[in-house]
Amino acid sequence: MTEDPLTLEAELPTSLMTVNLGPSHPAMHGTVRLTVTLDGETIVEAIPEIGFLHRGFSKSSENSTWHQVLPYTDRLNYVSPILNNVGYIMGVEKLIGIEDTERSQYLRVLGGEISRICDHLTCVGAIGLELGAFTVFLYAMEARELLWDRIAELCGARVTVSWTRIGGVASDMPPGWEQKLRDCLPRVMELTNEIDVLLTRNRIFVDRTRDIGVISAEEAIDWGFTGPCLRACGVNYDVRKAHPYLVYDRMDFEIPLGSRGDTYDRYVLRLEEIRQSHRIVLQCLDQMPPGPIIIDDWRYALPPKKEVFGSIEGVMAHFKLIMEGQQVPAGEVYVYTEGANGELGFHIVSNGKGKPYAIQVRAPGFPILSALPRLIKGHAVADLIPIFDSINMIGGEVEQ
Amino acid sequence: MSQALIELVRGKFPDATGSSHRGDEVVTVPRERVVEVIGFLRNDPAAEMKLLRQIAAVDVLTFRSETTGGGSIASIEAPAYALQKKPSVEPRYQVAYNLYSITRRQSLRVRVELRSDDMKVPTITGLFRTADWWERYIYDMFGVHFDGHPNLQRLMLYPEFVGYPLRKDYPVRKRQLLVPELDFPDLVRGPGPGPGGAGVPMSQTHVGRANVDPNTYD
Repeated sequence: MTEDPLTLEAELPTSLMTVNLGPSHPAMHGTVRLTVTLDGETIVEAIPEIGFLHRGFSKSSENSTWHQVLPYTDRLNYVSPILNNVGYIMGVEKLIGIEDTERSQYLRVLGGEISRICDHLTCVGAIGLELGAFTVFLYAMEARELLWDRIAELCGARVTVSWTRIGGVASDMPPGWEQKLRDCLPRVMELTNEIDVLLTRNRIFVDRTRDIGVISAEEAIDWGFTGPCLRACGVNYDVRKAHPYLVYDRMDFEIPLGSRGDTYDRYVLRLEEIRQSHRIVLQCLDQMPPGPIIIDDWRYALPPKKEVFGSIEGVMAHFKLIMEGQQVPAGEVYVYTEGANGELGFHIVSNGKGKPYAIQVRAPGFPILSALPRLIKGHAVADLIPIFDSINMIGGEVEQ
Repeated sequence: MSQALIELVRGKFPDATGSSHRGDEVVTVPRERVVEVIGFLRNDPAAEMKLLRQIAAVDVLTFRSETTGGGSIASIEAPAYALQKKPSVEPRYQVAYNLYSITRRQSLRVRVELRSDDMKVPTITGLFRTADWWERYIYDMFGVHFDGHPNLQRLMLYPEFVGYPLRKDYPVRKRQLLVPELDFPDLVRGPGPGPGGAGVPMSQTHVGRANVDPNTYD
């Protein structure tokens, strides 16, 4: 085809413009500030600034007893707090060299997978919401509420659960809870399928997310990606399969993989992970053995209240644990579990006293957020929103 | 499996020392060699450690002396102020690089020890892009300088923050002065109350508890 020179597009003279997004902006999850340099609508450069939500997690933890750190870990990822509880407490148990009881391991997996479903639902709902599909968001919230109600019945709190303990968990399933969970799971999956039907083949949604924010596997590893964002690039790395902890080796589930590493893959992968987590939850319920939910070692686990009020040994153990904390043997460990958004790591140092000597958290969102300028460069401003949604950055853990 | 990794590193770098705790393998290397060792681990076919999980740091100042228990805030804060005048424990800082190989499913921690009078480590941003933010984070919290880092600024705290909060001699409840508002012209309302504007610095107008001497505490 010959081109008529008159119909060629003329070069519009533009100058670069700097726009501040956030820290308080509806599209900025949490409080991240993005200084974006624009050429027309194209993003030339972006500089993320974090720290508006910095609460001094490490410093506070170093001045608390081992169990007092638990509420801080709830607030790292406030959408799936049980996964954080489990990650942290497994680090302490690794330092001590103990394992929790079998039933507690099942309960931790059960609670963790329910939390993972909640986290993915939040992410998927938010993508839908910000691309104009408000229905999807409401469906996701309905499903999440159903599960958070179950978590509230199990742990006593919806979000700030502080549920695990060294050597076990704080509370067992209340009577009738298992049936309640079995009753609400079909509705959760029905809503997930509704979301699937509404979005996955939706032309508008696919156009907005396909080949947007692409990253290759090598580059993703170089940037420190883990979790759904890495698996969307086709890299098969999931801590639950690579280094099975708790009872994940007894569970039958699959690790979905993407191929393109774009926003669409990250979304589809999360939907599929919801289904896999659902499978794990059902298997947990089927396999759950009876037994104690916490170890019977009063050097680390709080004695039952009956003993505290009824025997001198119980009251002494309780007093020592509360006032001095667990005397965790000195050492340095890095413990890693599969959080909802990737590998959740804790680098914990103990000097043999009742407090952690040093704790630093490897938040899964931290490396991924640092790569945000790379992901959005060259895209339009409007694409920034779905990309930012699909990495599912959680301010609480990234900014600690 | 991972013992073999320590042997691998020691075979190539004889001045590295290996140790192991609860299944975590650690090699301690001299500071000058850190880029070399991590680059070797990243590219060697027997290691293939392409994923930098985390960079962490530890201040060992009170490792042996810290008292036990939760206790009151005052009882943990008073020693922190006393520590600022005491001689240091050397080498006082450790920087730990947690590396992982996705293909070989193995992990290794590379540790560097630093003296408090010479807190410099060569940067590994040339090897891992993700090291950029981790090094800024360690600089922010501990004041470790990463030589050659392209943009070594505070990551989570603000530039005016004084001190490094994760050092053990930084008191938990230490206060920082309020930062005067920047002289940033507002297109609609005119210049703000910053130093160059019409008003006075914020730290003088907002006389509150935050304005006490940061070196005292309740």
